[in-house]
Amino acid sequence: MISSRHPLKDQVAIAGAYTTGFTAANTPRSQASYAVEACINVLRECGLTAADVDGIVGSSPEAQVVQSSLGIPAITYFSNPLIPFVNQLAAAVSAVYSGLCDVVLAYHAAYRLPWNTGAAFKDPFRRGGGMGAAMLAQPPESIFGAVGYTAWASRYYHEFGDSRDAFGRIAISDRSYAADNPGAAMRTPITMDDYLAARMIRWPLCLLDMDVAVDGADAFVITTADRAKHMPFKPVLVNAITVGMTRHAEEDQTPSLRDHGQHVVVESLKARADFWIDGTDIYFPYDGFTPIALNWFENAGWCGPGEGRAFLESNWDRERNRILIDGRIPVNPHGGALSEGGTQGSGHIREAVLQLQGRAGVRQTPGARTALITAGGFFFNAQGVALRTD
Amino acid sequence: MTVTNEELVAQFPGRPISYDNADHYRGWLDHRLLLNRCGECATWHEPPRPSCPNCWSMNVVPTQVAGSGTIHLVVFLHQGPAATGVDYSTPYPVVTVELDEQPNLRITSTVIGASNDEITISKRVSLSWQLRDGAPMPVFTLDSGSEQ
Repeated sequence: MISSRHPLKDQVAIAGAYTTGFTAANTPRSQASYAVEACINVLRECGLTAADVDGIVGSSPEAQVVQSSLGIPAITYFSNPLIPFVNQLAAAVSAVYSGLCDVVLAYHAAYRLPWNTGAAFKDPFRRGGGMGAAMLAQPPESIFGAVGYTAWASRYYHEFGDSRDAFGRIAISDRSYAADNPGAAMRTPITMDDYLAARMIRWPLCLLDMDVAVDGADAFVITTADRAKHMPFKPVLVNAITVGMTRHAEEDQTPSLRDHGQHVVVESLKARADFWIDGTDIYFPYDGFTPIALNWFENAGWCGPGEGRAFLESNWDRERNRILIDGRIPVNPHGGALSEGGTQGSGHIREAVLQLQGRAGVRQTPGARTALITAGGFFFNAQGVALRTD
Repeated sequence: MTVTNEELVAQFPGRPISYDNADHYRGWLDHRLLLNRCGECATWHEPPRPSCPNCWSMNVVPTQVAGSGTIHLVVFLHQGPAATGVDYSTPYPVVTVELDEQPNLRITSTVIGASNDEITISKRVSLSWQLRDGAPMPVFTLDSGSEQ
């Protein structure tokens, strides 16, 4: 049962966002050092001191590491939900709205570890680290985790025909946008020939269908809309936020491409938000794997099931080699997870904040006032956020 | 004779064996594929949970399935975790099979004895068994000439 009760609408704001930028290499730094660098900078930019922070929400490292690294004297709320990052944002927004705390410092440090890249084994300090031990311990005969998207990509082919060129357009578009993002890990443009020649990892998905493992971090300040008005940047209001999961969240039990977490997110956001796809100035479909983004276009209603390929073709900006909906609405203007780096959603949210605050530099979408983020995938991790400014 | 919990874990190193699925792994040792079925309303579910999602009865019974079904999802792994007898240079097929007992009731394994271009969604399959490191595991074979 999806409720439309929605008291927190526009009551909580993202006041600031900072990124360290991302590197697709094992850098000689810890995950904590990236998180802390982003946290210090976002607080400085917002004109806040350690004593102003009374809530911490993040991924890795744990909240107490960030608190002690920054010398934050006392907090009344903290949590470390699982990624993707809308889980962190939902926890922070709820905590501020309910009064558990007033100012949340939220962060996510992406970090190259054995669960996301085998190359992490080359660094002795990374070998034992991080989540995903369960993922590494899986036998080959499993579609748990990342393999699940590959398996459902095969189902998409079965239902709608070979769609490699549609998946390819997602990857190419991200790379074209990333050229304008100095913080992106992958900025060299790619062609369809490059995509089709890329090394197959798990058929039907190749290397360029998968987000790139990176080192780097994003951090955010989240507070009441009233308090954010007195900070240096334009408040970005959380108009609506949701996660979505069905009773069949296991990768191999999910009933169909038309019945999973993304559909719950769509229904929930439509019931709560003041705008939907026809009212957004920028669109952020999660793209940890290309078929996730293609299915978001279809499930959000930009086009019908199986029409993603034609939709991308007719909304293709030939001059810049990228998706530009109706010749106007940018899609993942930071380069997405595929090209900026695999940030598990924090990059999408941070770019939305910078765009709505008018701080996106050469990537700035003129006059952007709304952004729709449909984050995560199909199974236990579908999420969505509608952000706006006054 | 009942296999003890210690012996079971020793037979299947690395498998996530718990009180909710131990009988299913015991079934593997006898070449019986067991899935949870509700003792009250007869609904099947997978993976094993302590309750029936349909009627909330906690009388869930590991029950043998026929092992016949239809390929629903296919992946060919060009790389993956090291495992005895698994060759990624082929590459290695992984299939999710929808079992005949109930719509959307599925298990995931591999297909043996077939070339990869024969392994496609909608093909009919049957249960078989093969040994890995001395312990049986369920696998599938393609039925001859049948497509649903």
